[in-house]
Amino acid sequence: MELLPYVYLAYMFISIYMLTFFLMLYLKNAKTLFDYPSPKKEYTVSFIVPAYNEEDSIKEAIEHIFAIDYDAITQVIIVNDCSTDKTKEIVSSLLKKYPKLTLINNKKNLGNAAAAQNVGLRYATGELIAVVDADSFPHKDSLKKMVGFFDDEKVGAVTCPILARNKTKLWEKLQAIEYIAISFGRKLLEYVDAIYVTPGPLALYRKKALEDIRGFDEKNLTQDIEATWHLAYNNWDRKMSLATGVHSKVPHKLKAWFIQRRRWNIGGLQCIQKYWKVIGKKGMLGFFIIPFFILNLFLGLVGLTIFFYLLTTRFINSFLLTRYSIIAQTPLVTLDNFYITPSVLNYLGIILFLFGLIYLLIIMAVLKERIFKTENMFTIPFYLIFYLVLYPFIMVNALWNFARGKYVWR
Amino acid sequence: MGQKQVFWQALLITILIFSIGVTAGVVLENWRTSKIASLYDLSELSLLDVKLQTEIYSLGEFNCEQAIQENIAFADRVYEEAKMLERYEGASRLTAQIEQEHKKYDLLRTMILLNSIKIKQGCPNRYYEIVYLYQYNDPSLETKAKQSVFSKLLIELKETKGDQILLIPVAADNNLASVNLLLEKYNIEKKDVPLILINRNKKITTLTTVDELRKYLE
Repeated sequence: MELLPYVYLAYMFISIYMLTFFLMLYLKNAKTLFDYPSPKKEYTVSFIVPAYNEEDSIKEAIEHIFAIDYDAITQVIIVNDCSTDKTKEIVSSLLKKYPKLTLINNKKNLGNAAAAQNVGLRYATGELIAVVDADSFPHKDSLKKMVGFFDDEKVGAVTCPILARNKTKLWEKLQAIEYIAISFGRKLLEYVDAIYVTPGPLALYRKKALEDIRGFDEKNLTQDIEATWHLAYNNWDRKMSLATGVHSKVPHKLKAWFIQRRRWNIGGLQCIQKYWKVIGKKGMLGFFIIPFFILNLFLGLVGLTIFFYLLTTRFINSFLLTRYSIIAQTPLVTLDNFYITPSVLNYLGIILFLFGLIYLLIIMAVLKERIFKTENMFTIPFYLIFYLVLYPFIMVNALWNFARGKYVWR
Repeated sequence: MGQKQVFWQALLITILIFSIGVTAGVVLENWRTSKIASLYDLSELSLLDVKLQTEIYSLGEFNCEQAIQENIAFADRVYEEAKMLERYEGASRLTAQIEQEHKKYDLLRTMILLNSIKIKQGCPNRYYEIVYLYQYNDPSLETKAKQSVFSKLLIELKETKGDQILLIPVAADNNLASVNLLLEKYNIEKKDVPLILINRNKKITTLTTVDELRKYLE
């Protein structure tokens, strides 16, 4: 027997396992997904917003932060990392309106969000630190539904769903589906203590926990993933409040999307490089988070390799067949070519696709996305068949850049 | 709040789903194999019948027309069954039994050839006997493409010449002693395969057109 069917079967097994795992977590916890504890005390909160050329969104982001229904917001610190647009002027013009707003202008460009966040951290006085991206807009009820988790002293960070702000173009709609799928999965991972990222658009940290991990890793392109792993390493729990959220602008052009995703992948690879020795140790970090992360990054690569192998052999075969058919003056296509005899692997592929579809429909139904909206009838299959297939290509590019040590933010 | 048991539960469910899937796959492939096997049984029966007819004819006045028609019609039927076998083989991923069926069909087709040889002794030059020897085990992409074109050529030739052609495709590399003997008898080496053997004397190894093939028959 050939090797390829077994590789394919192993690939299927892992994929079906992951989907079953998430579906089971959902079924076991469906009633508590949106639960959040009411805080026993009012924690003071400092916001840190790193900003580089954010003139389009910074004003609205600040307004959203100050509109949050929570009395103990003590500071909103904007760290302007030498923007060359009007970010500085816009924030300056709001200082009078919002007395708790602080603007820090870096003397030189630090080149990444982590460094700017660390600058803000030095000025932050709150018991909790809320990190917000300058193009993100937290929901009004976000803090009320997140801070209660900190009553448990082991909790170091709390995250919430990141939702797409702009979803008019197809590319944005696809990302919107992806964002809710990721958020839903992150909530489910909370039940097994396996939250692996507290994303930048809105993450709430206990200041003591951030000090414990010595702030954000400035060398890492995904400082939010690294910080989460570091917290897990230092035995801090991470929680997720599905009851609220933050809207964030998603790239509307393919190139910007590609660059963003490549950065995520390179950052992920940096994290793996930094923590690979922890595999098999340190509780869920070493036993699940890192292996799960590696699997997520590389499973697509295996699929891509198989796909290219099949595509190449099919192409060579077609080329030779055409060449020989021309020599022999025989028809290129005959009726026999249209006979399809599916193999068991084809059937398993269909089962896997249906599993994925069911999981996605559950997510959309739970998060009250209108599944049967005409546009979703097209975007959901497109997302499953085409969008997810693009990931391995980004991974290949990320690996290439990672191997060359090219860790660039933009 | 830990729910670590989900890891094991999901594993068990996955093993269950996967086992059902793989078992269903094995059942499907076995069903296809048994379908081929039952067709083979019928063909084997028909072969015995055709062979006996040939024997009976050879006792008295030989009815060439009928013997030839019976043999060619039978070979055509086996050819159609072999196409189904080929499709099932292409979709077979978990079991190898169908390869045994292929070998049985190779032997069956070799027997058709032997029957044809016997018929030709009594009725020479009444039809063309075309044996197509091909590589079955791991052909290279180039050989695969070449064999595919050879098959198309022979089908086209068969369509135009109809009952004048007895077409017998046989895998040359299935390690069947009788097929190996046949190759030896007609001085065919395995490296020459794919090869078309016309009337047991003309060998064609290079791709050609149907018109050229027709010329070989004239």
